[in-house]
Amino acid sequence: MDVNKTIKELEVALKEALDGVEKIEALQDVKAQFIGKKADLSLLMRHMKDLPNEEKPAFGQTINEAKQRFSALIEARRETILAKKMANKLKKETIDVTLPGPSYTLGTPHLLRKITAEIEDLFMGMGYLVKEGPEIESDELNFEKLNLPKEHPARDMQDSFYLTEDTLLRTHTSPVQVRTMLEYGGAKPVKIICPGVVYRRDDDDATHSHQFMQVEGLVVDEKTSLSDLKGTLLAVAKHMFGEDRKIRLRPSYFPFTEPSFEVDVTCSQCDGDGCSMCKQTGYIEILGAGMVHNNVLEASGYDSSRYQGFAFGMGVERIAMLKYGIDDIRHFYVNDLRFNHQFKGGKS
Amino acid sequence: MKVSLNWLKDYIKIKESRETLAELMSLHSQEVEYTQQLVKAKGLVIGYTKSCKPHPDADKLSVCEVDVKTETLTIVCGAPNVAAGQHVIVAKNGAVLPGGFEIKQTTIRGVESNGMICSLDELGIEHKFHNEEGIHVIEGDVTMGDDALKALFLDDEVIALDLTPNRMDLLSMHGVAYDFAAILDRDITIPEVTIAYEKTKNSMTITTETELCESYYGSVIENLEIKPSPLWMKARLIAAGIRPINNVVDITNYVMLETGQPLHAFDYDLLDSEQIVVRTAKKGETFVTLDDKKRLLEEGDILITNGKEPVALGGVMGGAKTEVHGKTTRILLESAVFNPTQIRLTSSRLDLRSESSMRFERRVDVGRTRYALDRATELLIKYANATVRKDVAYFDHTDQSEKIIEIALERINRVLGSDYSTEHVARVLTRLRFDFKEKHGVFYVKKPTRRPDFESYQDLIEEIGRISGYDALPATLPSTVSQGELSPLQRFRRHVRQALTGLGLDEVMTYNLVSKDDVLTYVKEKTLKPIRIKHPMSDKRNVLRLSAINGLLDVVSHNRARQADAVHVFELGKSYQKSGERELLTLAMNGPYQSRKWQETPETSFFTLKGVLEALADFLGVQGLEYEQTSLENYHPHQTAIVTLKGETLGIIGKIHPQNTKRLDLDDVYVLEFDLMKLFEVSQTEFAYETISKLPSVSRDIAIVCDKSIPVKMLMATIKKQNIEIFKSVDVFDVYEGEHVGANQKSLGLRMVFADSTRTLKTEEIDQATNKIIKALEEKHQATLR
Ligand SMILES: [Zn+2]
Repeated sequence: MDVNKTIKELEVALKEALDGVEKIEALQDVKAQFIGKKADLSLLMRHMKDLPNEEKPAFGQTINEAKQRFSALIEARRETILAKKMANKLKKETIDVTLPGPSYTLGTPHLLRKITAEIEDLFMGMGYLVKEGPEIESDELNFEKLNLPKEHPARDMQDSFYLTEDTLLRTHTSPVQVRTMLEYGGAKPVKIICPGVVYRRDDDDATHSHQFMQVEGLVVDEKTSLSDLKGTLLAVAKHMFGEDRKIRLRPSYFPFTEPSFEVDVTCSQCDGDGCSMCKQTGYIEILGAGMVHNNVLEASGYDSSRYQGFAFGMGVERIAMLKYGIDDIRHFYVNDLRFNHQFKGGKS
Repeated sequence: MKVSLNWLKDYIKIKESRETLAELMSLHSQEVEYTQQLVKAKGLVIGYTKSCKPHPDADKLSVCEVDVKTETLTIVCGAPNVAAGQHVIVAKNGAVLPGGFEIKQTTIRGVESNGMICSLDELGIEHKFHNEEGIHVIEGDVTMGDDALKALFLDDEVIALDLTPNRMDLLSMHGVAYDFAAILDRDITIPEVTIAYEKTKNSMTITTETELCESYYGSVIENLEIKPSPLWMKARLIAAGIRPINNVVDITNYVMLETGQPLHAFDYDLLDSEQIVVRTAKKGETFVTLDDKKRLLEEGDILITNGKEPVALGGVMGGAKTEVHGKTTRILLESAVFNPTQIRLTSSRLDLRSESSMRFERRVDVGRTRYALDRATELLIKYANATVRKDVAYFDHTDQSEKIIEIALERINRVLGSDYSTEHVARVLTRLRFDFKEKHGVFYVKKPTRRPDFESYQDLIEEIGRISGYDALPATLPSTVSQGELSPLQRFRRHVRQALTGLGLDEVMTYNLVSKDDVLTYVKEKTLKPIRIKHPMSDKRNVLRLSAINGLLDVVSHNRARQADAVHVFELGKSYQKSGERELLTLAMNGPYQSRKWQETPETSFFTLKGVLEALADFLGVQGLEYEQTSLENYHPHQTAIVTLKGETLGIIGKIHPQNTKRLDLDDVYVLEFDLMKLFEVSQTEFAYETISKLPSVSRDIAIVCDKSIPVKMLMATIKKQNIEIFKSVDVFDVYEGEHVGANQKSLGLRMVFADSTRTLKTEEIDQATNKIIKALEEKHQATLR
């Protein structure tokens, strides 16, 4: 008997049988049939005893090798069956990846808060503290201590909402500057910015709002100069409107500063050549500033022969409107979310 | 102030264009509102109407032969006042009128017309300045063929200054000339006045009973011939925005524009007195001003009287009784200084703001009061053939003592951050025509009366800075080093914003002024009284808000009306109470939250908002919020709660009453309003590190059935009260009401977590603990295990 021939025949039969197997249970049967205890291959071992001793090891090895081969064939088939089964299962789980995901939206901070925070961060980087104060102020802190006595004609410039004879809704955040100077007792340098809500008696329209936001700044020490004001405001202009911006100071008048200025920044739309946005002037007015008036320093306990400094104030709405080309100030308070959603995170 | 360039050229040489002058002005002095050519027209000449005949084919038209020296033009004219023998303004063919309107040869009803005879309106001169109907007929000496604008002195340009309240000196042409002279570094000539007085003496006596009139000069001028002013004066008044009337009125206005000193002329015969007494009005006194209106006066209003009765409201308006008229031959000319504050009070109260009152309000140059009177007298002599009585009657209590302002070069440079030399500063002061001395680097500058705004050395620094030019200054940063940082509250607000936007809520800002009608609608404390605005601009905004909920509801409503499916918003604002300003955190949620779109989205409910609050509280390190069902007007009576922490009320959370939302055309809206400061106070300040336990916790689920009315909070409290050492937390994972439990019952699935950081728990002790809890729930709440 030719054992090799028999094994070959069995192997052909096994391969044939495996080809028809699609299920794991059926594979078990095939396994029993070909390498089980009663399988033909196992039965071949019985012939061993009939062989001369020197041939026995080779015969045994041949059978064992065949058994291993058969086993591997069966295993390979098992894997094929399992893989197919998994593939079928996954196929059933097919999705349309182009379907939209849920609308997990993040909320948008209010643009005025966002810009205020940006300005706060810029100034904190330059060593300023952020100071706040009440919106209901005394006439004394809102006006009188700022060199605006009762009969001062400049009070017309900022007609205000009075609550009683001597309290009103603050018309600027300058009273916070006064409060800080009083708190410091005229004894140490002041370097603060004051963001907050302020009020003026204006009819609401595209460019006026009875309520708006301001950020004011104040530096008082023994040497802070107008040149320092220029450098500081240039930093603001560059930060808010781009690295290439330049600024210019035009003489103006505020009772609390002397000299006083309107500060213009070169138009970012036309780079100073003149366009409709800057009314052909190449410049856009962004804020008011000046050197603190001696009367203001003295009223808040600072010796004006020793101390000096600058102050500035900007409207947050105005900055936002210029920066983004917003055409109506009422957008900030109507909160049409189609407006609010335009100003999210990104790199800005 | 509208500055005529022709006029300015009387005082200084100008070679710059008006655009250049405007630019210089805005960089060194004052804002320029606009600049313009007075008349924007070309190709206008003086013509003479040789003849004027009716148009053969049109009733209202005339056919004129107009001599323009080089030729005679046939012009068809529609003005009723055209006639032969008139000097007129002719726009020849090719001429351009304001608005770019070009004149061309036309044929009007069969007659060829070569040009147009112009009215002043057609030249773009506003009607209020001339009141003329029809064509302009030139009175005065003109020559045919000459450039008409030149001949009429209308070839002028105007720079309109937007003056700040401090620069009262620029309310005069002299002041403007001084400023330009300094800016341009040019010579200035102010004309001197010479007057030939009559022998007759001015017998007026002028006195005051009030300090509110600081000085008063009066001249008696006689033999006046009232007639139109010379063309040049008319043109300059028009350029300055003042309507020419007659020579007497025009001269007072002209001199006011020149000097900034308002003048007033009384008809001397109607004045009917040899004395002027200035006094203040008594309360309730009345006076008829020259516009024939009876004015009710207040104490303090300044009255000029003739010793018996008032004749003028000093500095504000003259009286009807003594007004100069067409037949006036003698006047008392007044040049006076009144208290600025009083003039402001009177003129604003009576709504009588005029060129005069505006100048008095801002303070006039007390050094020019007499000059202005003399200058007007000189002009009246010249242009009204007047004579003037000898001596000016006056009193003058103004302080004209010499005042010296001191400023050291070092301080100038310290304030400006500049590096100016003594010579530079001296040069600038010279350009400004200031009288000064310099010694050892200190400048002693005599305060000029023409600059009443000067108070201290700061004003001088300003002058030196602006004339030197701010462009030249370096741009540096303050050298004081300090630490910039946010306060804990400021950081906290940023964290709240970060958490809530992270949870998908949009931040909004709404108005703080609201209507008193609904200010209390959503407020918990109905006894609060809102703070009222004294003089509100409208009923919609007459008080300060107590809650931001109304504002947020408006935002929800606005957006839902514009196709938004959902609105989830918050505001960090304030409540304005008599006891002070309280910071608020207000939320409103409406519509699907974090919509799953085509997948199922849980319905937004009270618990959606509660979940948002708990997430926020967790982020802020606030633990142990408690909810107490409450019933509150305008809220859903069974879906609203007060939120407390350790007995302290933080705020309110709930559903807006459906009746209210229905009125806004909205479906369910859930709101929350917290006192932000209270939340701030209980928020975690420090985070302490805790070792993370390596041992696992064990959870046990139980399902119990109990009475529907028992709040979960009470069950939880009972569980916690058992003080089981290994017990960590309990949460609700299921709530069921329905057929499988009794009608008044509910089933709750509770998940309890047990742990010990030092050892692994044994099954028996967890069973024990669970049983203890079940037993307690049975005893306390008659709950049964399901
Ligand atoms: Zn531009």
